[in-house]
Amino acid sequence: MFVASLILILSTALFLFYLQATCQRILRRQFDQEYFRSIVNANRLEFPSIRKALEEYDGPTDYARFRMTLKCDFLALTYLLKNAGNADRRYTRDERLLMLYFRAVYLLMVARHGLRLRERNAIVNLTAILEYFANVVGQRVNLVRFGNLAPSNYLLNL
Amino acid sequence: MLESFLSFDLYLLVDVFAFALVVFLACKGSWKRLPALWAYLFAFLVIDGVARRYVLYHYGIKSNAYIYCYWLTDAALALGLFLLICTFFQRACANERKLWPFLRLFLAFVFVLVLGMSAHTLSRNYENLFSRFIYEFNQNLYFTCLVLNTLLFIMMQQIENADDELQMLVCGLGLQFAGPAANFALMFLTPDNTTAHGYAKLLFAFASPLCTLGMLLTWFYAVVKMPKPATARASKKLVPVMATSHRSA
Repeated sequence: MFVASLILILSTALFLFYLQATCQRILRRQFDQEYFRSIVNANRLEFPSIRKALEEYDGPTDYARFRMTLKCDFLALTYLLKNAGNADRRYTRDERLLMLYFRAVYLLMVARHGLRLRERNAIVNLTAILEYFANVVGQRVNLVRFGNLAPSNYLLNL
Repeated sequence: MLESFLSFDLYLLVDVFAFALVVFLACKGSWKRLPALWAYLFAFLVIDGVARRYVLYHYGIKSNAYIYCYWLTDAALALGLFLLICTFFQRACANERKLWPFLRLFLAFVFVLVLGMSAHTLSRNYENLFSRFIYEFNQNLYFTCLVLNTLLFIMMQQIENADDELQMLVCGLGLQFAGPAANFALMFLTPDNTTAHGYAKLLFAFASPLCTLGMLLTWFYAVVKMPKPATARASKKLVPVMATSHRSA
């Protein structure tokens, strides 16, 4: 009974660990250039400024503002993932997995804040996922030509 | 009804993905780079897609023949994955020549031990296969493979192995072992003929094919999108010439 309980706990923990490791491996994918910058500028996304704030200041985080900003950026980027330069208008499997991962980390951030633990690492993780999404959108938009429109103009016309 | 229909569909989806991966590896010529992975997938396809389905259609899902076929082939597939992990260990140690001879001995010892114990316990409980024994047996087998896989993952972090494709393949294996191991433990812990045991069995009907599907999708991602390890080999003809010139100098 004891061994079975131990196996149940360890296996569940390792399952979550491998799921997280898989998502982290996908996020480590290298892009040939920083596509996310044009997407951030065209859509006035704020996640890079959050990451910069976290890197530069070690003080307390403005949790309420960060939470709202990350949520808004996530909604904007998932919309763009589906509609910008995407002929199928569908998410790929890895995008779906990362969206689930984002939601899980977001919940973890809320839980950590509720328990008065530091939510810094969770916020950094969330910005990494958003950067990956922005890079994917930027790469897609860059690959497709839209007449005389530049990628940023195309996004503004969506 | 809905449960069996959905899980049947899931198993079909798993076979379709396994077939697609086998064909993809064969067409791209990647099976030469990943022969053990390809061989495992091919064996999986033959066992799960052909042998089990043949027994299922001929004898029915509740027949003894199907139950024996399912659990014995499940153990065989788990042992196949064990061998696959051994080949991943070898690939991870490609740049650590001193480590591999020691690991090879260790892995051979563990494999013989697991194989021997599995054969011994299965033969002793062959008549008793429908009892809780099978849950305990599979729980231990999957957990042993999970521990070995986790050792490989930790070793790769320690030796700073930069093989992204291998890391992704190992993550896929981790999903395949961890999910069913937890599920078997849950089934073993819940008493027979209780609602909790019923839920644990229902969970297994979905979790097992979903974990296999997760592994296949992760492997797909690894072979399609992950950068491949560079293979730089010096020409065999050059080596003696260089050695001679060095000696003469």
